[in-house]
Amino acid sequence: MTIDERARELTPPTTPALRLRGISKRYGPVVASDGVDLDVHHGEIHGLLGENGAGKSTLMKILLGLVKRDSGTILRGEEPADITSPQEAVALGIGMVHQHFSLIDALTVWENVILGDTGKIDRTAACRQVEEVSRRYGLPIDPLARVDRLSAGERQRVELIKCLRRDPSVLILDEPTSVLTQAESAELFTVLRQVVRTEDRAVILISHKLAEITAATDRVTVLRKGRVVFHSETSATTPQELARQMVGRDVSLRAEGAALGLLPVDGGRPADTGTAPDTALDTAPDIETGTAPDTETGTASPAPGVVPALRLRDLTVTVDGVTALSDLSLDIAPGEILGLYGVEGNGQSVLGDLLSGLVLPTSGTVEVGGRPVELDRPGALHRAGLGIIPEDRHSSGVVLDMSIAENLVMKSLGDVSGRGFISRRKMYGIARRLAAEFNIVAPSMDTPVRSLSGGNQQRVVLARELSAGPSVLVAAQPTHGLDVGAIEDMYQRLQDAASGGVAVLLISTELEEVMALASRIAVICSGRITGVLPTGEATAERLGMLVGGVAA
Amino acid sequence: MNEREDLGSGDVLRRLLSNLNPGPSGWRTGAATILALLVALTLSSLLIAVTGGSPVASVEALFQGSMSDLTAWSSTLLYAAPLLLVAVGACVSARSGLFNIGQEGQVLIGALAAAWVGLRLAITGPLLIVVMLLAAGLAAGGWAGLSSLMYRLRGVNVVVSTLLMTFVAQQIVAYAVNTPWLLQESRIGNAIVSPQSNPLPSSALLGSIGEYPGLQINAGLIIALIAAVLIAVAISRTTWGFKITMLGRNPLAAKHAGVRVTALGGAALAVSGAFAGLAGAVLLASPVGVNRLQPGLSMNIGWDGLLVALVARNRPLAAMPVALLFGVLRSGGGFLAATGVPSFLVDVVKALLVLAFVAPPVVVALARRRRSGDRTAGARREAAPVAEEAIA
Repeated sequence: MTIDERARELTPPTTPALRLRGISKRYGPVVASDGVDLDVHHGEIHGLLGENGAGKSTLMKILLGLVKRDSGTILRGEEPADITSPQEAVALGIGMVHQHFSLIDALTVWENVILGDTGKIDRTAACRQVEEVSRRYGLPIDPLARVDRLSAGERQRVELIKCLRRDPSVLILDEPTSVLTQAESAELFTVLRQVVRTEDRAVILISHKLAEITAATDRVTVLRKGRVVFHSETSATTPQELARQMVGRDVSLRAEGAALGLLPVDGGRPADTGTAPDTALDTAPDIETGTAPDTETGTASPAPGVVPALRLRDLTVTVDGVTALSDLSLDIAPGEILGLYGVEGNGQSVLGDLLSGLVLPTSGTVEVGGRPVELDRPGALHRAGLGIIPEDRHSSGVVLDMSIAENLVMKSLGDVSGRGFISRRKMYGIARRLAAEFNIVAPSMDTPVRSLSGGNQQRVVLARELSAGPSVLVAAQPTHGLDVGAIEDMYQRLQDAASGGVAVLLISTELEEVMALASRIAVICSGRITGVLPTGEATAERLGMLVGGVAA
Repeated sequence: MNEREDLGSGDVLRRLLSNLNPGPSGWRTGAATILALLVALTLSSLLIAVTGGSPVASVEALFQGSMSDLTAWSSTLLYAAPLLLVAVGACVSARSGLFNIGQEGQVLIGALAAAWVGLRLAITGPLLIVVMLLAAGLAAGGWAGLSSLMYRLRGVNVVVSTLLMTFVAQQIVAYAVNTPWLLQESRIGNAIVSPQSNPLPSSALLGSIGEYPGLQINAGLIIALIAAVLIAVAISRTTWGFKITMLGRNPLAAKHAGVRVTALGGAALAVSGAFAGLAGAVLLASPVGVNRLQPGLSMNIGWDGLLVALVARNRPLAAMPVALLFGVLRSGGGFLAATGVPSFLVDVVKALLVLAFVAPPVVVALARRRRSGDRTAGARREAAPVAEEAIA
């Protein structure tokens, strides 16, 4: 126990910075928030933990005046506060950094920071202010830089500066680390510590990652189905307890653990039985680098003699003059899960688009089952036997305004039609079979996909792709935005597919996910593979180095 | 989007228009539409009263000109047929996510082709009218296809090119009827020749179907009704319709699913042009006009047909009654002038009616988006590009 923790324990309880009492909100039949009580104190980081859909976001939106609560009171200090607009929230000293950056790419840092201010624009003053905030909190940033040139971590800093400049006494961060490397996350938490300790602000940290909550918060509240189910000092609880509270039952499976952001701990893999981790630099010679194909031997490659189900060769993609992928090569054997791990925005989405047939490579080839695919022919990848769960299912995975049945058959219209006419009977037959097989829960097969939950939408995509009997399955961020149950289901399906002989390429930014599922891990940084290593040899440290591009 | 996924109709426009495509509308949209109609009618009455007319007398005149007797009905139906044809075509392109607004020009090109066939080709018997209709469809389809080509080769926005091609089409028709070796009427003696073609031979005209005392059901109407049913079936039951719908709703997903996006989009545009061309042939060959090619032959049927499709929310079957309503406004509008109300007021009334039908679904959708504080990721993604464009 550190000195200031002890000191805080000894100080008499002060008036909380913020008190929520009985906050309720329904959307039609859905109760998003059910009599929530929450106390947030000055000088502490309060973790708000819960699955997707547990009501975390609704609660914060109520706090920010973005959503009107049905009942309940908010007390700011001793005063009841009736927050009905974001402006009022700002006036009360409540600031939030949203999960998705709300920055305008084409503008510079200082322009983004003062966006929303009224009155005359004073560039010098704005820049000075940005620099001042940046210095005070150790958030280095060039106020004149254009936002689209910044990395995700730097953008996060801009968001923080934007928020801190208004001098909020309550700072809310919604899933702040989803786009950050481990190092960047650590930096962020250092800043938050400082904000809390030396300036006595209150911080609410929203997350579904247990490791983060246990490491960074002082107090934790768990929400489940809109209700507070657990509340504790963070030091007085364990990740296992929190996981149990969050999901509502015991969590022991490694898949669930990974879904909750815990590294596998059950010793089932050599990774965990290994001795003390070497530093990444010591083991660097073992790490195969994408730029030196001649070293491609040993455990980092699939067994020799087996024709890889998917072979990417020297793929280079240039988008608007920017190289998004450079000389990317990967082999994936039948029945193997290869995890492609990296921080968001390092070329993964372009690779996903390429494997969806939406982007053509500037050079390089894609081979499925040993045969090169003519990428410029529509649907060629699908015909070659490559199924894909795209990263952004709304943009290319499903047609939101078409029905479940239509979405399930859209890639195999030939199977449900004769002489150009679609047989509704066949279409619904296939749809019902797939819905049952993949647990797609919906009132009817005519339901538009738009009205399904994220998990069910993802199952529609998965069902469609797997029903085509692919030899390769690409899953790009397949668990983004899903709740634990759906994540578990997805993991099971991916593992089943692999054990059925399908080569699975799992593109993910979640280390835990990759570690739990993949047998080999390739790390991508700035559009190139910086290393491929068997999961058994992968440690968070080594991967961390590769993610930062060290071995490149 | 480095690829031209929006098919050249502009992303914002496509998103807004997609609210018009059939979908779960709900009672809100229905209620809003009724409210909007009431507002439109009230405003129209006010407008008529302010300009010195009597709203009641105006409605009476509208009714008299369009529905009071079988002659009036005949005239209404004659207008409804080409309106419906244009609308059916507009449904196809709008469903595919392309916004063809050049029907007025495509109507003219269709009429031009039909007139040339009817006057210059020595085809006898009923085959002549068939060839005329085919020529009109092909010519106007090709004309609309040019816009698709421009988009493909140079990335010209389809909305802009189809619109501008209308003015080119008008010039071409004007040139044709002013040029003796093309289609200008032959000089008889010393008479002054007008910028128009010779009248079509009687074998090139669309006659009435069936014998009813006083009522004329022109073959053009039958063609339009068949077209509407065919397209309705094609959209809802065929793989072609499925792909068109997919393309319109989500071009990226369509491409991902192996649809030849540009080819299919181009085909949809050509089909919509072909129907407008058919409408041109019907206008030329049915007793709605003088059966000569004249620069003013299209009579804004192209624009109005587009509005019919808008009001029918791109449903070919719903376009049937709407085309009838617009036919009523047309045939009644001429009569209205007799009551002292300026006949252009009919256009204003028409515009108000269109707004009353078109605005509610969009407004309801926007309101829903604003009201739901708990925006889904999808809604956020949809809203984001709009915001970006608004800022740019």
